[in-house]
Amino acid sequence: MGGMDLDRTTTALLAALHDSSNAAAWEAFDHRYRPILMGFARSYGLCDDDAAELAQSTIVKFIEQYREGKYDRDRGRLGAWLVTIAKYRLLDMRRKKSPVHIAQGESAIVDLDDDRSVGDAYDAQRRLAILREALQELREKTKTDSKTIRAFELLYYHGMSVQAVAADLGMQPQEVYLAKSRVAMRIREIVARIEREYEETPEDWASSPDRPSAAFGG
Amino acid sequence: MAQSIDTDLPEDGEFAPTGCGRFPRESLELAAIARADCSVEVDERISTHLVICKPCLEAVGQLAQEHTLLTELAQAARPDRATHAGRSEGAGLAAEEIPGYRLSREIHRGGQGAVYLAEQLATRRTCAVKMLLGGRFATPVQRMRFEREVEVVAGLRHPGIVTLYESGLSRDGEPWFAMEFVEGERLDEFVRRVGAGQRAIAELMRRVADTVAYAHRRGVIHRDLKPGNILVDQDGAPRILDFGLARSSTDADATDPRSSSTLAGEFVGTFAYAAPEQLAGDPTLVDSRCDLYALGVLFFELLAGQRPFEGAKSIAELVAQKASGATRRPSAPAAACGRAVDGDLDVIVLRLLAPDPARRYATAAALAEDLARYLDGRPILAREDSLAYVVTKTVRRHWFASGAAAVFLLTVVGASVALAVALANAEREKERVRRAYSTFGAALASANPEEGQGSSSMNVRDFLALVEKEVRSELADEPEVLAEMLKTLGVIQLAFDDPERSRGPILSAHEFFSRAYEAGRIGPSPMAEAELALARQLFLDRDFSGSEDAYRRAIGLRQLAFGPTAVETVDLERQLATVLRRQGRIAEAGALLEEALVHADRFPSTKEAVRVKAGILNGQAVLAAETGEHQDAIESFRIILSELHEVVPGNDFRRGRTLSSLAQSEAALGMLDSAERHAEEAVAILTERKGAGAQWTREATEILAKIRAAKAAAAPR
Repeated sequence: MGGMDLDRTTTALLAALHDSSNAAAWEAFDHRYRPILMGFARSYGLCDDDAAELAQSTIVKFIEQYREGKYDRDRGRLGAWLVTIAKYRLLDMRRKKSPVHIAQGESAIVDLDDDRSVGDAYDAQRRLAILREALQELREKTKTDSKTIRAFELLYYHGMSVQAVAADLGMQPQEVYLAKSRVAMRIREIVARIEREYEETPEDWASSPDRPSAAFGG
Repeated sequence: MAQSIDTDLPEDGEFAPTGCGRFPRESLELAAIARADCSVEVDERISTHLVICKPCLEAVGQLAQEHTLLTELAQAARPDRATHAGRSEGAGLAAEEIPGYRLSREIHRGGQGAVYLAEQLATRRTCAVKMLLGGRFATPVQRMRFEREVEVVAGLRHPGIVTLYESGLSRDGEPWFAMEFVEGERLDEFVRRVGAGQRAIAELMRRVADTVAYAHRRGVIHRDLKPGNILVDQDGAPRILDFGLARSSTDADATDPRSSSTLAGEFVGTFAYAAPEQLAGDPTLVDSRCDLYALGVLFFELLAGQRPFEGAKSIAELVAQKASGATRRPSAPAAACGRAVDGDLDVIVLRLLAPDPARRYATAAALAEDLARYLDGRPILAREDSLAYVVTKTVRRHWFASGAAAVFLLTVVGASVALAVALANAEREKERVRRAYSTFGAALASANPEEGQGSSSMNVRDFLALVEKEVRSELADEPEVLAEMLKTLGVIQLAFDDPERSRGPILSAHEFFSRAYEAGRIGPSPMAEAELALARQLFLDRDFSGSEDAYRRAIGLRQLAFGPTAVETVDLERQLATVLRRQGRIAEAGALLEEALVHADRFPSTKEAVRVKAGILNGQAVLAAETGEHQDAIESFRIILSELHEVVPGNDFRRGRTLSSLAQSEAALGMLDSAERHAEEAVAILTERKGAGAQWTREATEILAKIRAAKAAAAPR
C-alpha cells in the first residue's frame, strides 16, 4: 500500500492518450472506464450484451472526439463527458429497441431527462469500480491475513452473525469485530489512494457549484 | 526523521473514547447499524445514553462508518449485479431470480423492502412480491424483521389485510414473499378525491378499526398505521398493508433484544403518527393502544384536512404538544374550510389522541363499536374527561411530589391544568431534564430521512450538528441546560478532531459559564470544565498562547476545586506541558512534567491516576525523542504501554498514540521491522477509535508510510 502511482492518475492517462501509438495508455483507459460504463448501462436495465455494446460505442466515440480535440476539460470532468456520450447512446438504443415502452411511458427505465440522476448513476458505478479494485488489492497486495478477510465475507456476504462467524473460524467474537474493523481500515486507506488516482481536475471540481451536470447541457 | 508530529495532544482525562461498558459491543454495533442505515430504527435506550456518554457515542459513530463502508464493499463485490439506486434496478434484475414469478416493475420502496408488481406463472394472477432491501447483505436485524413480517402476515386472514400467497428464498438466497396485489389508492388521497363527508370517513375508519381489532386479537400490533399503509381498493374497502414493523404481543419479553424483531427501545414508526409512549422509547410502555393513537391522528387528518399538531413550529414543539395532549378539535380547522364535523366525532378523535394510553379506548374493537353507534345515530360511549376527573387525577398524581403545587392546582381550571403542573411543580429539575431529552428526541426524529433532514449519508457529526441546531432554537429560554448541552456537543466534536464544528458550541458555552461563574451561580469545577474545553479548542485551532492561558485558568480553578496536587489538577499541568512544547518552550515543558511526576508518585492507586501518570511519562518521552534521545524515549514508551495495559482496553486511543510515538523513535534508530509493526497497530487503533480523518490517525498513517518507504529503500533488489 504505498503512495499513489502517478502514472495511474486520470490526468496522466489523458496526457498519454495524446500519443495514439501509446497502446498501454489506451488499455489502461479502457480497463478503467469500460466496467464503469457497463455497470452504468446495466443500472438502466440493459442486458449484458446491450451494456457491452453501449460501453464499446461510448469509448469509441470518446476516442473520436478526443482525437478531434473536442474534449475540453474546462467544461467538466471526464466522467461527465463520458456520461453525456453514454446517455445519447442509451437513448438511441432504447428508441431502436423498445419504442412501445417509451410510448407507454413505462417507468421501468429511469427518466433520462434528469441529468443529476444520470450523473449520480455514473458516480455510483465509479464508486463500485473503485471498491472492487480496492477489494482486489486487499486480497492480493496487502498483508491482511485470509482469516480476517474471511470473517468480513461471512459477516457481510453471507449475513452470518458474529457468533456464527466466530464459531466457524475458531475465533473469539471480539476477534471477529476486530477483523471487520481491520478490513474497513485497510479498505479506507486503499480507496482514498485510488480515489486520488481517479480524481480529475480537482480545481474545476472544487470551483464548480453544480458538479458534472454543467456538462450535460446538450 | 522529523519530530514535528504531535503524538501527545492534550485531552480531557474523563474523555476516554472507549465505550463506557454499560452496553456490550454487540449492542453498540446494532446501534451503529441503525445509524448507518439511517432507517427509523434507533435503539432509544442507547440513543439516550449517547447524549450523556461520549465514549459510547464515539464508538457508535466509528462503527456506523465502518458498517456503511463494508456494506458498500460487499455490494460492490457482488458479481454482475448492478446496484445503483436507480428506480429500475430490481425490475430487470430480480426478474429471473424468483422461481415461479415474473417481476415487471418496482411499485414501492419502503424502509424494509422493495415491492414489485409480478405475475405468478402457474396461476397467471397478478401479485405483489416484496424483497428485502439489501438482499443477502441485509443486516441480521433487517433480515429478522423481514422474516417477522412474513410470519405476521401469514398468520392473518382478514378481508381488510392483504393476503400472503407464499414466501421463499430467491436463487440468490434472498428472502421474498408474494402477496395479493391491491389496486387502490392511499386512504387520504381517496378521501380527498371523492370528497368524502364525515359519515363516509367514519365508515372507512370503522372498517379500519375493525381490521386493526382483528390483528390485535391475534396478538399483532401494527405500530406504523398511516395513510400510506392503508389502501382503498376498487370496491371502496380499506386494506391495511405493511406489517413490517409489527410486533407480536406473544414475544416473550419486549425488553429482551433477542425476543423481538423490533428491538428493545427501538423507535420505529412514522413520527407524525407515533404515540407519545412510542416516542418515549420504553418498549414496555408500548402496547396495542399506540395503534389507536395513530388512528386518532389519521382520523383527525381525514376530517380536518390537516394533522392535529400542524401548528407546531418545530419537531420539539410537536413532541411537547403530543406529550401535553393539548390537542385542538378536528371540527375547528374543518370549519375553517367549510366542512362540518359532529361533536361526537370530535370526542372520539380526542379520546384517541389522549397522551395517556389509559385514557384512550381500551381496544380497537371499542373504537369500532363507538363508530358504529355514531353511524347508527345512537349515543357514543366515549366521554370527554370532566374537569373534576382531570383535577382529581392530577392532584393525586402530584400531591406527594409537591403539596403546594397541588393546592395551587385546585384553583386552576380547564385545560391549563396539565400545563400548570409542569410550571408550578417544585421538581423543576425534572422538567428541565425532560426538555433536554425531548429536544434531543426531536433532533433524532429530524434525522429521519423520510421526514426530516436526514439522509443515508448522514454521519454522527452531521447528526450532532443537527442536535446543536435543535437545542439552540429549543432551549434558548433555558440557558443553563443549553450551555451544558453545547459544551457536551462541543467536546464530542473535539474528540472527532473537528475544530470547525466544535468551535461554535464551545465558545458559546464558555461565554455562558463565565458569566454564571462571575455571578456566583456556578462553582469552580464546572467553570474549569468550560476552560478546559476552550483550551483544547484553541489548541486544535493552533492558537497555542490562547490555549495556554485557558489551561492556566483551568488549572487555577481545579486547584480551588480539588486542591493543588489532586489528580484532576496535575492532569491539566501535563496537558499544559504539551502546549508549551508546541511553542518550543522545551525547558519549561520539561520542568512542568518533572513537577507533575513528583505529585503523581503520591497519587492514590486509581485507574485514573495511572492513566494520568502514563500521560506524564508519555510527555517526557516525547520530549526525549524531540531532543534526539530515542533510546530513552523507546524505553519510556514501552513502560507506558505496559502500565496502560493494566488500566485501559487494548484498543484505547492512548495506546495508539504511544505506539505511534514508539514507532517513530524506533524508526529513527533504524529498527524498521518493529517500527512498522507498532505503527500498523497504532493506525489500526487510531482509525478504529478516532476515525481515519482524525489528526492522530493521519499522523500515524504518515509515520507508517515513511517507515515502509524506508524499508523499501533499504530492501535488497
